[in-house]
Amino acid sequence: MSYLDGPRINFSGMFQADVSTINNDLKNFDVAHFDPTHQQLGPGGWNPEGTGSFRLVDCVISGGSLDGKLLTGAHQDAAIGMRLENADQRVAGKLVDLDPQQQMVSQIWGLRLRLSDGAGDPVFAGAYETAAFTNLWKRQLNASAPNDQQLAAVYTSVLQGVTWRAHVGSALLDALRAASEDGALSINMNVFGYGRDPSIPRYTLGHVIGSIGPHRAGSPKHFVMGRQMIPVMISRTLTPDRQAGYLACAVDEGAKRLSADFGNVLPIKSADGGFTDIGRLVLAVSRDDPDARLDKVPAAALAVLGEIAYPHGDPARSQQWYAQSAGIVELDYGAAGDWVAQNIGQRPLLLCKPDGADPGRYQVVLQESIHGLYVRADQFVYRLEPGDTADVDFYCTRFGKPCATTVAFGTQLGMMGGDGVGGEGPPINTGKLEYAAQMTTDAAGHARLQIHAPAAGPGNPRGYIDGQLYGVGCTLPGQPAGSPQNIWDFVSLLVFDRVEVPAQPTWHADIQPILQQYANLYPIMSRHLIDLGDYDSVLPHVRILELAFSLPRDNPNHMPVTRDLSDAKRQMILRWLRQPGPDGKPLKGMAPPSATAVPAPAPDTAPAPAPALALEPLQEAGKTSFVLGYQARQGKPETQP
Amino acid sequence: MIRLYRRYVDKVVDAGTAADLFEPLQNAIELEHSTIPPYLTAALSMKPGCNQDIAGLIRSVTGQEMLHMCIVCNILLAIGGQPSINHMGFAPSYPGPLPMHIGGDGFEVGIEAFSIRLLKETFMRIEEPENPLPIRVALDMPDYTTIGAFYAALQKKILELGDAIFQPASVPKQVLEGRWFPSDQLFAIRSAQDAVRAIDLIVRQGEGTSTEPFEVKGTPAHYYQFGEIVAGRRLVVEPAGFAYAGEAIPFDPDGVYPLKPNCRIADFEPGSQAHVRITRFNYDYNCLLNALHHCFNGEPDKLDVAIGIMYSLRTDAVALMQTPVAAGSGLCVGPSFEYVRV
Repeated sequence: MSYLDGPRINFSGMFQADVSTINNDLKNFDVAHFDPTHQQLGPGGWNPEGTGSFRLVDCVISGGSLDGKLLTGAHQDAAIGMRLENADQRVAGKLVDLDPQQQMVSQIWGLRLRLSDGAGDPVFAGAYETAAFTNLWKRQLNASAPNDQQLAAVYTSVLQGVTWRAHVGSALLDALRAASEDGALSINMNVFGYGRDPSIPRYTLGHVIGSIGPHRAGSPKHFVMGRQMIPVMISRTLTPDRQAGYLACAVDEGAKRLSADFGNVLPIKSADGGFTDIGRLVLAVSRDDPDARLDKVPAAALAVLGEIAYPHGDPARSQQWYAQSAGIVELDYGAAGDWVAQNIGQRPLLLCKPDGADPGRYQVVLQESIHGLYVRADQFVYRLEPGDTADVDFYCTRFGKPCATTVAFGTQLGMMGGDGVGGEGPPINTGKLEYAAQMTTDAAGHARLQIHAPAAGPGNPRGYIDGQLYGVGCTLPGQPAGSPQNIWDFVSLLVFDRVEVPAQPTWHADIQPILQQYANLYPIMSRHLIDLGDYDSVLPHVRILELAFSLPRDNPNHMPVTRDLSDAKRQMILRWLRQPGPDGKPLKGMAPPSATAVPAPAPDTAPAPAPALALEPLQEAGKTSFVLGYQARQGKPETQP
Repeated sequence: MIRLYRRYVDKVVDAGTAADLFEPLQNAIELEHSTIPPYLTAALSMKPGCNQDIAGLIRSVTGQEMLHMCIVCNILLAIGGQPSINHMGFAPSYPGPLPMHIGGDGFEVGIEAFSIRLLKETFMRIEEPENPLPIRVALDMPDYTTIGAFYAALQKKILELGDAIFQPASVPKQVLEGRWFPSDQLFAIRSAQDAVRAIDLIVRQGEGTSTEPFEVKGTPAHYYQFGEIVAGRRLVVEPAGFAYAGEAIPFDPDGVYPLKPNCRIADFEPGSQAHVRITRFNYDYNCLLNALHHCFNGEPDKLDVAIGIMYSLRTDAVALMQTPVAAGSGLCVGPSFEYVRV
C-alpha cells in the first residue's frame, strides 16, 4: 500500500537543492593536482559553494483524495491549505551523490517533514527515510533559463516515526492516519524545473509536486507495488520515443477503481509545469497478453477504461490541475463492462492515443511490462565497508500482484563511470561482489538478496577516489528476452577501501590527506569557516568536528556532507581528534619531506583524453555532463539531455 | 559603561522570593542572547582569508556570550524557573534597543557588516565596563545603572534568599555538556555560592575586573578585545600601565562583504534569490531557538542538535552574504535574525 492507494494529501511548491558542484568533476578529488580556481563559479560548475542543503520551500497542501473524491479547497477539508514544512528543531536535509562516477542516484539524507496548520501548529511530523531519485527523463521540453535542468525525476519514500496531534479536525487526515501502519506514511515527490543559472530567482530551486498517503507494513517503501508502465528511451538519450514518462497504476479490483500516477508522465513545456499537448490519452486494457512491445493497435484489441483529461494549452490550468491532483487520476471502471472486470488483473494496461491517420486504431504510448512482470530492488543505493553485506529487498509482481518466481541477478552498470565531465575515468566494477545468481521470490513477491563486499576491500583500484563502484541488476527468466526494462532499475553499490587504522593516527600521515580533499571539494566550509586542510585552522574546531564526524550518516549534520567517507576513515579521524598528545592537541606527526614530490596518478587510473562535447560553460559539471559523458562513451553524442 | 534602567535593578533588590527573580533572569537571558546576532554577523562578514584575527576575536567574544546565556538559563532553572527562548520578542527587532534598554535611550543595535565604526560606536558601548580602565568615569545619571550593578544586585539577592531557593531536582535539567565549555565555566548550579561564582564569570569575561582589563591572564575582557581591534594592536602590560601597543591586528576594509545593513525579509521580492535565502536563514535561526528552548526545558541532550544548527547557520549566513540584494546593486544580503514561527 502506498500514496497511490489513498486517502492522500497532495502538495506543491518548490524545493531547494543547494548542492556543491565541485565534486561532480572526478579530477577535483585529486589532492595532489587540485586547481584552486575550481572552487570558483564556472571551473567549479554552477554552484561551487553549495551547502548541500535540501529543503522544501513554500509547499502547501494543494489538494487531496478521500474515497476517490478529489478535494481542492479548505471548504471541503481543513487539510487543504496547510503547509508542508521542514524540521522545526534541526537543520534541513542534504542532497548527496553516491560518487563522482555515479551521479544518477542522488539521495536525500536527514530530512524531516512536518505538516503545520494555519496557526503554525504541527499536525504531524516524521523522518524522511533516505531515498534516491529515479525514473529520470528529459521531461522539460524547453529551457526556461540558460543552463536549466530539463531532466525531471521522482523520489518515493516513507516518513518514519510519524507523530500526530491528537485532534486534527480534518476528515481526510483522520482517514490517512487510520489507513497507515507502524507510524509510517508513504511520500512521493515529482521534481522538475530545477534552475542552475546564478542570475535567476530559481537558482538552486526546483518545482515539487507530490503526495502523502498510507504506508502498510511489509510494502516496499520506494516504489509502488502496482502496474508499471516504462517508457523506451531513444538510443542513449533520456528522451522517451513516444513522449510520455513513467506511469504506475494501482488497481482495486474489488471496488473496480484504478489510480494512475501521471505525476512524472506528461512532458512539460517549461520549468513551471505547464503540460504540452501529446494528444488525447486513454487508459485501456489490452485484450491480448502480447510477448513484445505494441505499436499501433486496432480499437478492437483494447477495452478503454477512461480518458485522461489533462489540461494543456493554458499553463495556469495545467499547473492548477497538477497541484491539486499531483497528476494522480482515479478512474472508476465499473461501467467498462464484465470483460474488463474479469480481465484487468491478467492483461496489460495500455496508455494510448487515437491514431490520427486511422480513427479505428490507437497508438500505444505506454505499455505495462511484458506479461505484467516487474521486479525491482526497494532501496537501490548502498555504501559498504569491506566485509559488509547489503541486504537488498527485491519485490516481484505480475499485473500488480505479488508474484512467486525466479529472479536472476547480474552485473548492470547503467550510466556509471566516466569522469563526470564527459571524459573517461578510472575503470569501475573491478574485483567481485559475492551474491546469488538467482533467487525465488516468496508468496509476497519478496526476496532478500545478500550482496557481500570482499573483506579485503576492492584494493584502491581508483587511486585518489576511495573504493569501487558496482552495479547489480535483475531479470525475470519468465519474461521474453528483449522486453523493455527500466534503465534505472539496478542497485548501485560503493564499496570502500580497506583501511588499517593506526593506533595513533597523526595529522600529516593519516588525517590531512583526507581532510584536504574535503577542503577542496566543500569550499563553503573550508574557505569561510574551517580550512580543513590546515592543522592550525582545524585546532579550534576539534569539538565540533568530533561531533559532526561521530553523527550517523542519516543525521543532517553528519560529516562529511558528501557521505562518501568510509567508516574506517571516519573512525581514524575520530581517534585522532580524541587522542591529543602531551600538548593537549591532536597529534601532528612529521610533515612529508617534500610537499612537491607528488607522484603523478598511476597509469591505470589516469583519465583518458575527454571526448569533445558541446557543453555550455556552466554545464561542465553536473547531471547534464554526466549523461553526455555516458553518451560519448557509448558512441556518438546525442542532443543535450 | 553599560547603562540600563535602574528599575530593572530595583526589581532584583525588591525581590522577596525566588519567583520574583524569574523575570530579571529571563531578561538577562535575552540580553546575553541579543548581542550574538550582531557580533556573529560582523565576524562572518569577512571575506575568505581576510581579517581573520579580527574575526577570531569577535568569535571568541560571541562564544562567551553563548556561555553566559547558558549560565543564566541554568541559574533560572536552578531556582525553579523556566527559560523561554522561542517566543516572539525574545530577540530584539534589529535595529532596535537591546533588552533592559541597555546602552540608554536612543541606543539602537543593528545587524551590519564589520566596520571599525560599528565596533567603536556599538559593540564597545554594549560591553563598556562599569569602570573602564585606565580612566574612571563617574556615574551621574540617576535613572540608569549598569549591567555590572544588575548582576551584583542579583548576586546579593541570591545570597540573601539563600540555598533554600535552589532545587536539587533541577540539576538534571541544567545544560552542563562539558564538550562545548570548560567544566569550570559551565557547572551545575546547586547553591547560592554556585550561582554567585557563575555570575562572577559572566561579569569578569565581559568587563574584566576593576583593576585588570583581563578576564584571565592574557585574555582581555570583551570591551578590551574590541578595543584591541579599534586600536589595531594587542593589549599589553607596560611599566606605565596597560597599552594597546602589542602585536598589530591589521584590518583590510576591502576584506568585508558589502552587506546592506539591517535587512528584513520584507525588503525583498518574494521568489527572488535574496528572499528565498533570507527566509531560509530565518527559518533555521528560529529552529535554533526552538532547539535551545527544548534544551533548557527538559531536554538538555538537545544541545548537540542546537550546536549543529548553529554551524549550519554559519554556512547559510556566508551563502546569504554572497547573494546580491538586487542585480547590479553592489550590495549583498545580510542576515536579519527575525522571529518567524516554525
